[in-house]
Amino acid sequence: MITSRPVGQILDTDVLIIGGGVAGCLAAIGATEMGARVAVIDKGGLLERCGSIAAGVDQILAVAEDGPEWDTPDYLLQHIPKLTDYIVDMKPVETFVRGLPAMLRKLEKLGVPFRDPSTGRYFRHRTFGLPGEYHIDFDGSKFKPKISRAVIDSKAEIHLRTMAVNLLTRNNQVVGASAFHIRTGEFYFFRSKAVILVTGDTNRLSRNSSGLPFDSWHCPYNTGDAQAMAARHGAFLANMEFTENTVTPKGISSQGTNSLTGLGAHFINAKGERFMFKYDPAGERARRDILTSAIVSETLAGNAPIYCDCRHLPADILARLEETLGVDRPSLPRWFSERGIDLKKEPFEVTVSEFSSRRGGVYFRGSGILIDEKTATNLVGLFAAGDCCTVSGGISGAAVMGYEAGKQACLFARRNGAEKAFQDREIEMERERLFSPYNKPGTISPREYEDQVREIVTDYIGYQRTESKLRKAIENLRSLKSEEHSIGARDHHELMRAHEARNIREVAEMVATAALERRESRGSFSHFRADFPNRDDANWHKMIVLKKRNAGYEVDYRPIGLQGSPGDKNNAHTH
Amino acid sequence: MPILINEDLCVKGCTLCDQFCPGDIIYRLDPEKTPVIKYQDECWYCGSCEEYCPTDAVQIVFPDEMLHSRTQAESLFGNSLEETKSNYEAPSKP
Repeated sequence: MITSRPVGQILDTDVLIIGGGVAGCLAAIGATEMGARVAVIDKGGLLERCGSIAAGVDQILAVAEDGPEWDTPDYLLQHIPKLTDYIVDMKPVETFVRGLPAMLRKLEKLGVPFRDPSTGRYFRHRTFGLPGEYHIDFDGSKFKPKISRAVIDSKAEIHLRTMAVNLLTRNNQVVGASAFHIRTGEFYFFRSKAVILVTGDTNRLSRNSSGLPFDSWHCPYNTGDAQAMAARHGAFLANMEFTENTVTPKGISSQGTNSLTGLGAHFINAKGERFMFKYDPAGERARRDILTSAIVSETLAGNAPIYCDCRHLPADILARLEETLGVDRPSLPRWFSERGIDLKKEPFEVTVSEFSSRRGGVYFRGSGILIDEKTATNLVGLFAAGDCCTVSGGISGAAVMGYEAGKQACLFARRNGAEKAFQDREIEMERERLFSPYNKPGTISPREYEDQVREIVTDYIGYQRTESKLRKAIENLRSLKSEEHSIGARDHHELMRAHEARNIREVAEMVATAALERRESRGSFSHFRADFPNRDDANWHKMIVLKKRNAGYEVDYRPIGLQGSPGDKNNAHTH
Repeated sequence: MPILINEDLCVKGCTLCDQFCPGDIIYRLDPEKTPVIKYQDECWYCGSCEEYCPTDAVQIVFPDEMLHSRTQAESLFGNSLEETKSNYEAPSKP
């Protein structure tokens, strides 16, 4: 039981950055370079190890302008509409892609070793259906520590183990955030001239094969905090219908399995058939969402269990595989050895992971807060970057757009003058709201609440969406919202989980609402409507934009604006 | 218990596992005492604590649900499949 809480602090800054991952660090670097006072908040315990790739990363999407025809922003930009199934906002994507060459050099200056030490050149390869060898393989085990060092040296104020809970607004302008320390329970009232949201994707949304919600493909501590906070204040969110999954060994939802198919592993079904070519001419090297959809289709056709087979691979490739398995997830090689699986001798069973709300399995289009080419949201003073916004593209997307957000937020802060004044009563009310899950008798735990969200998302949003199921999902999620005030917390850590549970539910409702609206199927199982199984460019070549209304969300459209596209004819309208 | 700590190897005064854990699961509030795994069911099993422990004192222990999953894959695909199975067809290729 919590009996007393420290009173708290009022903190003033020019630019408040919520999230200390790659996007947050580059935002801090961008803003401090221009002379702004900066505060960075993250739930993690060490800036060097905050964010999705804290434990390491092994490749980066890069345009180096190194000679080949494909190695320029212009060449890549031409291919992006097709890569995103023609649902993409090209203006901010241009900021991202045109910023890639300079960002590569900037990160190298910060000490990230992208060049292969033995050759002095970039080791580049083609992946994810991109039209060139855009990915550089590198040793990224120190990537996050290097860029974090630059933030620490920049004298930005860093608040670790700190969770932001609500945005503060004044006259329709975002002017700060309330937050608390997840171990001491100290309350923070941040007043700032601009706010940047960079908290990443949303996970713990649905069930997986182990049944353990924190055993997730992406970081389970990324819980849509930015998306939910922004939505509650009327920010526009887009592309929320597109969710993503991956193929994963049954029992552990892990990253790193695309290296298996990338190096030549086969998928076989219970009949021993290699089935991927039925679904895509690229076979096992098809896009991730196509792999997932094929596994689901085979399972539904009664051909499960599905296996991943590496037995045919040459010894050197197998050795390389075993070496790289642990790069993204250090524990994965141990899982294989504890299972007693020898990749050389036997196939292992695979299935699909839980859902993540990030970018629907494709680069360049994010599911999240709608941003413009300057990373600004529709709320004055609020900027967003990284996996929580509509431009998502791995660490380089986070870096370029984070850096841009830092600079833009600083420019805005300069024009915006002094921090806004708040009355003591307002601050106290904010504090009361934040700590309300404490000490409530007969309440439900964050875990129980979240479990209900996962049941609804798995059963009624799912892979094969239909109008009746999605309506049921929305109804159940809204009824769950009415129980939000009953979530109880026994300590500060659990208070964090309580707020996360609210945020996860909010994102789930946005996914269901957008999925109900898009009456077509697009991007394999990132959005498959069983009642509208075909792609319908004539009607749905547009982004679905959500805006919070009293109960639920208002739906709007935004034309894609590609030259000659069917979407050009559609003007946005509300209904 | 998702994480085992070997008290004989664990160095007093070091708090790396506590700081590196991305989920605020491992607590070493008193650097002289063995770290406590406080929120066991919230472990990601990412292995950061094991990977970065300077004395190899940390070991990830996978639970039975992860090593021997008995989940029916179909149960992850959603409820009321009957409703959708009849008109189900593989999504068209882009």
